[in-house]
Amino acid sequence: MIKIHLKQAASYIRRSPFQALASISVLGLTFFVATIISILVFSSNRVLNYFETRPQIIAFIKNDADDGKINTLREKLNNDTRVKNIRIVTKAEALEIYKKATADNPLLGELVSPSIFPASIEFSVINLSLAKEVIEETKKEDIVESVGFTASLEGGSTLGDVVERLKTITFYIRAAGIGFVIFLGATSFFVLLVVISMRITTRREEVEILELMGASPGFIRTPIILEAIYYAMVGVVMGWSMAVVLILYTVPTIISYFKTIPILPTNALNFMEILMIILATELAAGILIALGGSLLALGRTAKKK
Amino acid sequence: MLKLTNVSKNFGKIKALENISFEVADGEFVFLTGPSGAGKTSILRLILREFLPSNGTIEFDGQDITKLPRKKIPELRQKIGVIFQDFKVLPERTVRENIEVALALKNIPDREWSETIKELLSLVGLDLRANLFPSQLSGGELQRLALARALSVSPKLILADEPTGNLDWKTADTIMDLLLKINKEGKTIIMATHHKLIVDKMKKRTIKLKEGRMIIKDD
Repeated sequence: MIKIHLKQAASYIRRSPFQALASISVLGLTFFVATIISILVFSSNRVLNYFETRPQIIAFIKNDADDGKINTLREKLNNDTRVKNIRIVTKAEALEIYKKATADNPLLGELVSPSIFPASIEFSVINLSLAKEVIEETKKEDIVESVGFTASLEGGSTLGDVVERLKTITFYIRAAGIGFVIFLGATSFFVLLVVISMRITTRREEVEILELMGASPGFIRTPIILEAIYYAMVGVVMGWSMAVVLILYTVPTIISYFKTIPILPTNALNFMEILMIILATELAAGILIALGGSLLALGRTAKKK
Repeated sequence: MLKLTNVSKNFGKIKALENISFEVADGEFVFLTGPSGAGKTSILRLILREFLPSNGTIEFDGQDITKLPRKKIPELRQKIGVIFQDFKVLPERTVRENIEVALALKNIPDREWSETIKELLSLVGLDLRANLFPSQLSGGELQRLALARALSVSPKLILADEPTGNLDWKTADTIMDLLLKINKEGKTIIMATHHKLIVDKMKKRTIKLKEGRMIIKDD
Protein backbone atom coordinates (compact mmCIF):
# COMPACT_ATOMS: atom_id res chain seq x y z
CA MET A 1 0.00 0.00 0.00
CA ILE A 2 2.75 2.46 0.98
CA LYS A 3 4.40 1.74 -2.39
CA ILE A 4 1.63 3.55 -4.27
CA HIS A 5 1.96 6.59 -1.96
CA LEU A 6 5.75 6.67 -2.30
CA LYS A 7 5.43 6.41 -6.08
CA GLN A 8 2.94 9.26 -6.08
CA ALA A 9 5.11 11.44 -3.79
CA ALA A 10 8.11 10.83 -6.08
CA SER A 11 6.02 11.80 -9.07
CA TYR A 12 4.96 15.09 -7.40
CA ILE A 13 8.62 15.91 -6.73
CA ARG A 14 9.66 15.06 -10.29
CA ARG A 15 6.89 17.21 -11.71
CA SER A 16 7.88 20.39 -9.86
CA PRO A 17 11.66 20.29 -9.42
CA PHE A 18 11.98 24.00 -8.56
CA GLN A 19 9.55 23.76 -5.65
CA ALA A 20 11.53 20.76 -4.44
CA LEU A 21 14.81 22.64 -4.85
CA ALA A 22 13.49 25.68 -2.93
CA SER A 23 12.24 23.55 -0.04
CA ILE A 24 15.40 21.45 0.18
CA SER A 25 17.65 24.54 -0.01
CA VAL A 26 15.88 26.34 2.84
CA LEU A 27 15.80 23.22 4.99
CA GLY A 28 19.44 22.51 4.11
CA LEU A 29 20.48 26.02 5.18
CA THR A 30 18.51 25.70 8.44
CA PHE A 31 20.14 22.44 9.39
CA PHE A 32 23.60 23.58 8.22
CA VAL A 33 23.39 26.48 10.68
CA ALA A 34 21.83 24.24 13.33
CA THR A 35 24.75 21.78 13.08
CA ILE A 36 27.36 24.55 13.30
CA ILE A 37 25.59 26.13 16.28
CA SER A 38 25.25 22.76 18.02
CA ILE A 39 29.00 22.22 17.71
CA LEU A 40 29.65 25.79 18.86
CA VAL A 41 27.46 25.33 21.95
CA PHE A 42 29.11 21.98 22.63
CA SER A 43 32.62 23.47 22.31
CA SER A 44 31.85 26.50 24.46
CA ASN A 45 30.51 24.18 27.14
CA ARG A 46 33.72 22.19 27.00
CA VAL A 47 35.84 25.33 27.31
CA LEU A 48 33.75 26.49 30.23
CA ASN A 49 33.98 23.09 31.84
CA TYR A 50 37.76 23.09 31.31
CA PHE A 51 38.22 26.36 33.14
CA GLU A 52 35.68 25.53 35.82
CA THR A 53 37.43 22.28 36.65
CA ARG A 54 40.93 23.67 36.72
CA PRO A 55 42.42 23.57 40.24
CA GLN A 56 41.39 26.74 41.96
CA ILE A 57 42.66 26.09 45.48
CA ILE A 58 46.14 24.89 46.43
CA ALA A 59 46.76 23.76 49.99
CA PHE A 60 50.55 23.84 50.65
CA ILE A 61 51.54 21.06 53.03
CA LYS A 62 53.93 21.56 55.93
CA ASN A 63 57.38 20.01 55.45
CA ASP A 64 57.00 17.61 58.40
CA ALA A 65 53.67 16.14 57.25
CA ASP A 66 53.93 12.44 56.41
CA ASP A 67 52.17 10.60 53.59
CA GLY A 68 49.58 9.12 55.96
CA LYS A 69 48.38 12.55 57.08
CA ILE A 70 48.38 13.87 53.50
CA ASN A 71 46.24 10.90 52.44
CA THR A 72 43.87 11.47 55.36
CA LEU A 73 43.40 15.08 54.24
CA ARG A 74 42.84 13.93 50.66
CA GLU A 75 40.21 11.43 51.86
CA LYS A 76 38.50 14.18 53.83
CA LEU A 77 38.39 16.41 50.77
CA ASN A 78 37.20 13.50 48.67
CA ASN A 79 34.20 13.10 50.93
CA ASP A 80 33.40 16.82 50.76
CA THR A 81 30.60 17.33 48.20
CA ARG A 82 31.68 20.93 47.58
CA VAL A 83 35.10 19.81 46.32
CA LYS A 84 36.12 18.11 43.08
CA ASN A 85 39.20 17.29 40.95
CA ILE A 86 41.56 16.62 43.88
CA ARG A 87 45.20 16.06 43.02
CA ILE A 88 48.29 15.63 45.18
CA VAL A 89 51.48 17.31 43.91
CA THR A 90 54.62 15.86 45.52
CA LYS A 91 57.79 17.85 46.15
CA ALA A 92 59.44 16.19 43.10
CA GLU A 93 56.45 17.03 40.91
CA ALA A 94 56.54 20.59 42.20
CA LEU A 95 60.19 20.82 41.16
CA GLU A 96 59.31 19.50 37.69
CA ILE A 97 56.62 22.12 37.35
CA TYR A 98 59.13 24.78 38.42
CA LYS A 99 61.70 23.50 35.91
CA LYS A 100 59.15 23.61 33.13
CA ALA A 101 58.13 27.10 34.08
CA THR A 102 61.79 28.25 34.05
CA ALA A 103 62.80 26.28 31.00
CA ASP A 104 64.05 29.48 29.38
CA ASN A 105 66.64 29.82 32.13
CA PRO A 106 67.88 26.31 33.08
CA LEU A 107 70.26 27.72 35.67
CA LEU A 108 67.32 28.63 37.92
CA GLY A 109 66.13 25.01 37.85
CA GLU A 110 69.55 23.61 38.68
CA LEU A 111 70.00 25.85 41.72
CA VAL A 112 67.08 24.36 43.60
CA SER A 113 66.40 20.94 45.15
CA PRO A 114 62.98 19.25 45.66
CA SER A 115 63.17 19.85 49.41
CA ILE A 116 62.55 23.56 49.09
CA PHE A 117 59.26 23.01 47.29
CA PRO A 118 56.31 22.12 49.48
CA ALA A 119 54.03 19.29 48.52
CA SER A 120 50.49 20.45 47.90
CA ILE A 121 46.92 19.31 47.35
CA GLU A 122 45.18 21.03 44.45
CA PHE A 123 41.45 20.99 44.08
CA SER A 124 38.55 22.99 42.78
CA VAL A 125 35.14 23.78 44.19
CA ILE A 126 31.90 22.98 42.41
CA ASN A 127 30.85 26.61 42.72
CA LEU A 128 33.15 29.58 43.15
CA SER A 129 30.90 31.03 45.86
CA LEU A 130 31.89 28.14 48.09
CA ALA A 131 35.61 28.89 47.78
CA LYS A 132 35.87 31.22 50.79
CA GLU A 133 34.42 28.80 53.32
CA VAL A 134 36.38 25.83 51.91
CA ILE A 135 39.63 27.83 52.09
CA GLU A 136 38.95 28.84 55.69
CA GLU A 137 38.25 25.24 56.67
CA THR A 138 41.36 23.96 54.84
CA LYS A 139 43.56 26.55 56.55
CA LYS A 140 42.57 25.06 59.91
CA GLU A 141 44.02 21.66 59.00
CA ASP A 142 47.17 20.80 61.05
CA ILE A 143 49.29 19.80 58.10
CA VAL A 144 48.40 22.81 55.96
CA GLU A 145 50.99 25.58 55.87
CA SER A 146 49.03 27.99 53.76
CA VAL A 147 46.26 28.04 51.16
CA GLY A 148 46.49 29.69 47.78
CA PHE A 149 43.57 30.63 45.56
CA THR A 150 43.84 31.27 41.83
CA ALA A 151 41.12 33.91 41.90
CA SER A 152 40.69 36.58 44.51
CA LEU A 153 37.40 36.27 46.28
CA GLU A 154 36.14 39.83 46.09
CA GLY A 155 36.30 41.59 42.74
CA GLY A 156 38.85 39.07 41.54
CA SER A 157 40.36 39.34 38.12
CA THR A 158 41.85 35.94 37.41
CA LEU A 159 40.29 32.50 36.93
CA GLY A 160 36.97 33.46 38.52
CA ASP A 161 36.63 36.31 36.07
CA VAL A 162 37.55 34.11 33.13
CA VAL A 163 34.91 31.58 34.13
CA GLU A 164 32.28 34.27 34.58
CA ARG A 165 33.15 35.83 31.23
CA LEU A 166 33.01 32.42 29.56
CA LYS A 167 29.65 31.76 31.17
CA THR A 168 28.35 35.01 29.72
CA ILE A 169 29.78 34.24 26.28
CA THR A 170 28.35 30.69 26.38
CA PHE A 171 24.97 32.09 27.36
CA TYR A 172 25.00 34.52 24.44
CA ILE A 173 26.18 31.86 21.96
CA ARG A 174 23.40 29.57 23.17
CA ALA A 175 20.68 32.24 23.16
CA ALA A 176 21.66 33.78 19.81
CA GLY A 177 22.19 30.35 18.25
CA ILE A 178 18.89 28.96 19.44
CA GLY A 179 17.11 32.18 18.38
CA PHE A 180 18.65 32.03 14.91
CA VAL A 181 17.86 28.34 14.48
CA ILE A 182 14.25 28.94 15.60
CA PHE A 183 13.98 31.76 13.05
CA LEU A 184 15.37 29.55 10.26
CA GLY A 185 13.20 26.64 11.42
CA ALA A 186 10.13 28.87 11.20
CA THR A 187 11.20 29.99 7.70
CA SER A 188 11.53 26.34 6.64
CA PHE A 189 8.13 25.62 8.14
CA PHE A 190 6.48 28.43 6.16
CA VAL A 191 8.26 27.49 2.92
CA LEU A 192 6.99 23.93 3.31
CA LEU A 193 3.53 25.25 4.14
CA VAL A 194 3.47 27.32 0.93
CA VAL A 195 4.88 24.52 -1.25
CA ILE A 196 2.42 21.96 0.11
CA SER A 197 -0.51 24.41 -0.19
CA MET A 198 0.45 24.95 -3.84
CA ARG A 199 0.62 21.19 -4.33
CA ILE A 200 -2.88 20.74 -2.89
CA THR A 201 -4.25 23.54 -5.09
CA THR A 202 -2.79 21.97 -8.23
CA ARG A 203 -4.16 18.59 -7.15
CA ARG A 204 -7.69 19.78 -6.45
CA GLU A 205 -9.19 17.89 -9.40
CA GLU A 206 -7.36 14.71 -8.44
CA VAL A 207 -8.50 15.04 -4.82
CA GLU A 208 -12.13 15.41 -5.94
CA ILE A 209 -11.88 12.29 -8.10
CA LEU A 210 -10.24 10.33 -5.29
CA GLU A 211 -12.99 11.41 -2.89
CA LEU A 212 -15.64 10.18 -5.35
CA MET A 213 -13.79 6.89 -5.60
CA GLY A 214 -14.05 6.53 -1.82
CA ALA A 215 -10.58 7.61 -0.76
CA SER A 216 -10.30 8.35 2.93
CA PRO A 217 -8.69 11.67 3.99
CA GLY A 218 -5.67 9.64 5.14
CA PHE A 219 -5.25 8.10 1.69
CA ILE A 220 -5.35 11.53 0.04
CA ARG A 221 -2.98 13.10 2.58
CA THR A 222 -0.33 10.39 2.74
CA PRO A 223 1.60 11.21 -0.50
CA ILE A 224 1.52 14.92 0.36
CA ILE A 225 2.93 14.29 3.84
CA LEU A 226 5.53 11.88 2.41
CA GLU A 227 6.62 14.58 -0.03
CA ALA A 228 7.16 17.04 2.85
CA ILE A 229 9.06 14.41 4.86
CA TYR A 230 11.26 13.71 1.83
CA TYR A 231 12.14 17.42 1.55
CA ALA A 232 12.94 17.54 5.26
CA MET A 233 15.13 14.42 5.22
CA VAL A 234 17.11 15.51 2.17
CA GLY A 235 17.43 19.03 3.64
CA VAL A 236 18.70 17.69 6.98
CA VAL A 237 21.21 15.30 5.42
CA MET A 238 22.43 18.00 3.02
CA GLY A 239 22.79 20.70 5.71
CA TRP A 240 24.41 18.31 8.18
CA SER A 241 26.85 16.93 5.59
CA MET A 242 27.94 20.40 4.50
CA ALA A 243 28.48 21.44 8.12
CA VAL A 244 30.41 18.23 8.92
CA VAL A 245 32.71 18.73 5.93
CA LEU A 246 33.36 22.31 7.05
CA ILE A 247 33.94 21.27 10.68
CA LEU A 248 36.26 18.39 9.75
CA TYR A 249 38.18 20.72 7.47
CA THR A 250 38.74 23.25 10.26
CA VAL A 251 39.24 20.83 13.19
CA PRO A 252 43.08 20.61 12.95
CA THR A 253 43.37 24.40 12.92
CA ILE A 254 40.92 24.80 15.84
CA ILE A 255 42.63 22.14 17.95
CA SER A 256 46.11 23.56 17.35
CA TYR A 257 44.86 27.10 18.10
CA PHE A 258 43.33 26.15 21.44
CA LYS A 259 46.25 23.82 22.26
CA THR A 260 45.60 22.23 25.69
CA ILE A 261 41.99 23.43 25.91
CA PRO A 262 39.95 20.42 24.73
CA ILE A 263 37.47 22.42 22.64
CA LEU A 264 36.61 19.35 20.51
CA PRO A 265 37.05 15.66 21.28
CA THR A 266 40.37 14.47 19.88
CA ASN A 267 39.05 10.91 19.66
CA ALA A 268 37.48 10.49 16.20
CA LEU A 269 34.89 7.98 17.46
CA ASN A 270 33.68 10.31 20.23
CA PHE A 271 33.46 13.14 17.75
CA MET A 272 31.49 11.02 15.27
CA GLU A 273 29.17 9.95 18.08
CA ILE A 274 28.39 13.62 18.80
CA LEU A 275 27.82 14.33 15.11
CA MET A 276 25.50 11.32 14.84
CA ILE A 277 23.49 12.50 17.86
CA ILE A 278 23.15 15.89 16.16
CA LEU A 279 22.04 14.20 12.90
CA ALA A 280 19.44 12.06 14.70
CA THR A 281 18.08 15.11 16.55
CA GLU A 282 17.94 17.11 13.33
CA LEU A 283 16.15 14.31 11.48
CA ALA A 284 13.53 14.22 14.24
CA ALA A 285 13.19 18.03 14.09
CA GLY A 286 12.99 17.91 10.27
CA ILE A 287 10.21 15.32 10.37
CA LEU A 288 8.35 17.44 12.94
CA ILE A 289 8.63 20.54 10.70
CA ALA A 290 7.46 18.49 7.67
CA LEU A 291 4.52 16.98 9.55
CA GLY A 292 3.55 20.35 11.04
CA GLY A 293 3.80 22.21 7.71
CA SER A 294 1.96 19.63 5.64
CA LEU A 295 -0.78 18.96 8.20
CA LEU A 296 -1.40 22.69 8.64
CA ALA A 297 -1.58 23.14 4.84
CA LEU A 298 -4.00 20.22 4.55
CA GLY A 299 -6.07 21.51 7.45
CA ARG A 300 -6.33 24.99 5.92
CA THR A 301 -7.39 23.55 2.56
CA ALA A 302 -10.00 21.35 4.20
CA LYS A 303 -11.44 24.42 6.00
CA LYS A 304 -11.62 26.42 2.74
CA LYS A 305 -13.69 23.62 1.18
CA MET B 1 -30.46 -2.94 -2.91
CA LEU B 2 -31.47 0.73 -3.24
CA LYS B 3 -34.62 2.49 -2.07
CA LEU B 4 -35.39 6.19 -2.32
CA THR B 5 -38.44 7.32 -0.32
CA ASN B 6 -39.96 10.79 -0.83
CA VAL B 7 -36.59 12.31 -1.59
CA SER B 8 -36.51 16.06 -2.20
CA LYS B 9 -33.56 18.34 -2.67
CA ASN B 10 -33.61 22.11 -2.66
CA PHE B 11 -30.71 24.34 -3.59
CA GLY B 12 -31.84 27.57 -1.97
CA LYS B 13 -35.19 28.38 -3.58
CA ILE B 14 -34.60 25.98 -6.48
CA LYS B 15 -36.32 22.64 -6.15
CA ALA B 16 -33.93 20.20 -7.81
CA LEU B 17 -35.87 17.09 -6.78
CA GLU B 18 -39.38 16.65 -5.44
CA ASN B 19 -40.81 13.54 -3.80
CA ILE B 20 -38.75 11.00 -5.65
CA SER B 21 -39.47 7.41 -4.65
CA PHE B 22 -38.26 4.26 -6.36
CA GLU B 23 -36.52 1.01 -5.66
CA VAL B 24 -33.78 -0.81 -7.50
CA ALA B 25 -33.36 -4.55 -6.97
CA ASP B 26 -30.13 -6.53 -7.02
CA GLY B 27 -28.85 -7.13 -10.57
CA GLU B 28 -31.21 -4.60 -12.19
CA PHE B 29 -30.32 -2.18 -14.99
CA VAL B 30 -32.26 1.07 -14.59
CA PHE B 31 -32.21 4.16 -16.77
CA LEU B 32 -32.79 7.64 -15.34
CA THR B 33 -33.85 9.76 -18.28
CA GLY B 34 -35.02 13.29 -18.85
CA PRO B 35 -33.79 16.58 -20.25
CA SER B 36 -30.90 18.57 -18.78
CA GLY B 37 -31.80 19.92 -15.33
CA ALA B 38 -34.38 17.16 -14.74
CA GLY B 39 -32.47 15.97 -11.66
CA LYS B 40 -30.78 12.80 -12.96
CA THR B 41 -27.29 13.74 -11.77
CA SER B 42 -28.66 15.05 -8.45
CA ILE B 43 -30.10 11.60 -7.71
CA LEU B 44 -26.73 9.95 -8.44
CA ARG B 45 -24.92 12.50 -6.29
CA LEU B 46 -27.36 11.86 -3.44
CA ILE B 47 -26.67 8.14 -3.68
CA LEU B 48 -22.93 8.92 -3.52
CA ARG B 49 -23.59 11.11 -0.46
CA GLU B 50 -22.00 14.14 -2.14
CA PHE B 51 -24.79 16.03 -0.37
CA LEU B 52 -27.81 15.25 1.77
CA PRO B 53 -31.47 15.36 0.66
CA SER B 54 -33.66 18.13 2.07
CA ASN B 55 -36.29 15.49 2.80
CA GLY B 56 -36.71 11.74 2.54
CA THR B 57 -34.53 8.71 3.02
CA ILE B 58 -32.15 6.76 0.82
CA GLU B 59 -31.49 3.17 1.76
CA PHE B 60 -28.55 1.34 0.25
CA ASP B 61 -27.89 -2.25 1.22
CA GLY B 62 -30.39 -1.92 4.08
CA GLN B 63 -28.74 1.17 5.54
CA ASP B 64 -30.13 4.70 5.51
CA ILE B 65 -27.21 6.56 3.97
CA THR B 66 -28.64 9.98 4.86
CA LYS B 67 -27.76 9.14 8.48
CA LEU B 68 -24.29 7.90 7.64
CA PRO B 69 -21.55 9.70 9.63
CA ARG B 70 -19.09 11.68 7.49
CA LYS B 71 -16.17 9.37 8.21
CA LYS B 72 -18.16 6.40 6.85
CA ILE B 73 -18.72 8.04 3.45
CA PRO B 74 -15.48 6.65 1.90
CA GLU B 75 -16.65 3.16 2.90
CA LEU B 76 -20.01 3.71 1.14
CA ARG B 77 -18.32 5.02 -2.01
CA GLN B 78 -16.02 2.02 -2.15
CA LYS B 79 -19.12 -0.14 -2.63
CA ILE B 80 -20.22 1.93 -5.61
CA GLY B 81 -18.51 2.14 -8.98
CA VAL B 82 -18.98 5.47 -10.76
CA ILE B 83 -18.64 6.44 -14.42
CA PHE B 84 -18.96 10.07 -15.48
CA GLN B 85 -19.62 11.85 -18.74
CA ASP B 86 -16.26 13.67 -18.36
CA PHE B 87 -14.54 10.37 -17.43
CA LYS B 88 -12.89 11.71 -14.24
CA VAL B 89 -9.80 9.56 -14.63
CA LEU B 90 -6.66 10.60 -12.76
CA PRO B 91 -4.86 12.62 -15.44
CA GLU B 92 -1.32 12.18 -14.21
CA ARG B 93 -1.43 8.45 -13.71
CA THR B 94 -1.21 5.75 -16.35
CA VAL B 95 -4.10 3.41 -17.21
CA ARG B 96 -2.59 0.78 -14.91
CA GLU B 97 -2.01 3.28 -12.08
CA ASN B 98 -5.60 4.53 -12.29
CA ILE B 99 -6.79 1.02 -11.52
CA GLU B 100 -4.07 0.47 -8.93
CA VAL B 101 -5.37 3.45 -6.97
CA ALA B 102 -8.86 1.96 -6.88
CA LEU B 103 -7.46 -1.38 -5.74
CA ALA B 104 -5.33 0.31 -3.05
CA LEU B 105 -8.42 2.16 -1.81
CA LYS B 106 -10.19 -1.13 -1.33
CA ASN B 107 -7.15 -2.51 0.53
CA ILE B 108 -6.66 -5.29 -1.99
CA PRO B 109 -3.16 -6.78 -1.46
CA ASP B 110 -0.48 -5.66 -3.99
CA ARG B 111 0.21 -9.23 -5.09
CA GLU B 112 -3.31 -9.53 -6.52
CA TRP B 113 -3.15 -6.27 -8.47
CA SER B 114 -1.35 -7.51 -11.56
CA GLU B 115 -3.81 -10.35 -12.27
CA THR B 116 -6.90 -8.18 -11.58
CA ILE B 117 -5.64 -5.35 -13.79
CA LYS B 118 -4.85 -7.77 -16.61
CA GLU B 119 -8.37 -9.24 -16.47
CA LEU B 120 -10.09 -5.85 -16.32
CA LEU B 121 -8.07 -4.31 -19.14
CA SER B 122 -8.73 -7.36 -21.26
CA LEU B 123 -12.48 -7.07 -20.49
CA VAL B 124 -12.62 -3.44 -21.63
CA GLY B 125 -10.13 -3.95 -24.47
CA LEU B 126 -7.36 -1.75 -23.11
CA ASP B 127 -4.74 -4.43 -22.52
CA LEU B 128 -2.34 -2.80 -24.96
CA ARG B 129 -2.82 0.65 -23.41
CA ALA B 130 -1.83 -0.21 -19.81
CA ASN B 131 1.17 2.10 -19.70
CA LEU B 132 -0.33 5.06 -21.51
CA PHE B 133 -1.46 8.27 -19.81
CA PRO B 134 -5.09 9.48 -20.16
CA SER B 135 -3.93 12.28 -22.48
CA GLN B 136 -2.82 9.57 -24.92
CA LEU B 137 -6.26 7.89 -25.04
CA SER B 138 -9.37 8.56 -27.14
CA GLY B 139 -12.75 9.44 -25.57
CA GLY B 140 -14.00 5.87 -25.89
CA GLU B 141 -10.82 4.50 -24.35
CA LEU B 142 -11.09 6.95 -21.46
CA GLN B 143 -14.64 5.81 -20.76
CA ARG B 144 -13.54 2.18 -20.93
CA LEU B 145 -10.76 3.00 -18.46
CA ALA B 146 -13.34 4.63 -16.16
CA LEU B 147 -15.45 1.50 -16.43
CA ALA B 148 -12.49 -0.79 -15.71
CA ARG B 149 -11.64 1.32 -12.68
CA ALA B 150 -15.23 1.24 -11.46
CA LEU B 151 -15.31 -2.54 -11.80
CA SER B 152 -11.94 -3.08 -10.13
CA VAL B 153 -13.38 -2.81 -6.64
CA SER B 154 -16.17 -5.34 -7.36
CA PRO B 155 -18.89 -2.78 -6.61
CA LYS B 156 -22.41 -3.78 -5.67
CA LEU B 157 -23.78 -0.91 -7.67
CA ILE B 158 -22.53 1.01 -10.70
CA LEU B 159 -23.69 4.58 -11.23
CA ALA B 160 -23.17 5.84 -14.77
CA ASP B 161 -23.76 9.54 -15.33
CA GLU B 162 -24.18 10.16 -19.08
CA PRO B 163 -21.34 7.73 -19.87
CA THR B 164 -21.99 8.06 -23.60
CA GLY B 165 -22.51 11.83 -23.55
CA ASN B 166 -19.11 12.66 -25.01
CA LEU B 167 -18.85 9.73 -27.38
CA ASP B 168 -19.82 9.06 -30.98
CA TRP B 169 -22.60 6.55 -31.64
CA LYS B 170 -20.30 3.62 -32.47
CA THR B 171 -18.14 4.12 -29.36
CA ALA B 172 -21.23 4.67 -27.22
CA ASP B 173 -22.55 1.36 -28.50
CA THR B 174 -19.35 -0.39 -27.40
CA ILE B 175 -19.67 1.10 -23.93
CA MET B 176 -23.32 0.05 -23.70
CA ASP B 177 -22.37 -3.49 -24.75
CA LEU B 178 -19.83 -3.56 -21.97
CA LEU B 179 -22.34 -2.28 -19.41
CA LEU B 180 -24.84 -4.90 -20.56
CA LYS B 181 -22.21 -7.62 -20.22
CA ILE B 182 -21.36 -6.45 -16.71
CA ASN B 183 -25.07 -6.32 -15.82
CA LYS B 184 -25.53 -9.89 -17.06
CA GLU B 185 -22.73 -10.91 -14.69
CA GLY B 186 -24.92 -9.69 -11.84
CA LYS B 187 -23.96 -6.06 -11.25
CA THR B 188 -26.68 -3.52 -10.54
CA ILE B 189 -26.47 -0.50 -12.83
CA ILE B 190 -28.21 2.88 -12.66
CA MET B 191 -27.50 4.95 -15.72
CA ALA B 192 -28.49 8.57 -16.24
CA THR B 193 -28.85 9.49 -19.88
CA HIS B 194 -30.85 11.64 -22.25
CA HIS B 195 -29.83 9.47 -25.19
CA LYS B 196 -33.24 8.22 -26.36
CA LEU B 197 -31.81 5.84 -28.93
CA ILE B 198 -29.81 4.00 -26.29
CA VAL B 199 -32.75 3.73 -23.93
CA ASP B 200 -35.00 2.42 -26.71
CA LYS B 201 -32.38 -0.08 -27.88
CA MET B 202 -31.62 -1.49 -24.44
CA LYS B 203 -35.26 -2.03 -23.40
CA LYS B 204 -34.57 -1.74 -19.69
CA ARG B 205 -36.59 -0.27 -16.86
CA THR B 206 -36.72 3.51 -17.19
CA ILE B 207 -37.46 6.25 -14.66
CA LYS B 208 -38.34 9.47 -16.45
CA LEU B 209 -37.75 12.80 -14.75
CA LYS B 210 -38.84 16.31 -15.58
CA GLU B 211 -38.06 19.43 -13.55
CA GLY B 212 -37.15 17.36 -10.51
CA ARG B 213 -40.29 15.22 -10.55
CA MET B 214 -40.78 11.63 -11.59
CA ILE B 215 -43.16 11.50 -14.52
CA ILE B 216 -42.90 7.84 -15.50
CA LYS B 217 -41.76 4.94 -13.35
CA ASP B 218 -41.62 2.07 -15.83
CA ASP B 219 -41.79 -1.08 -13.70
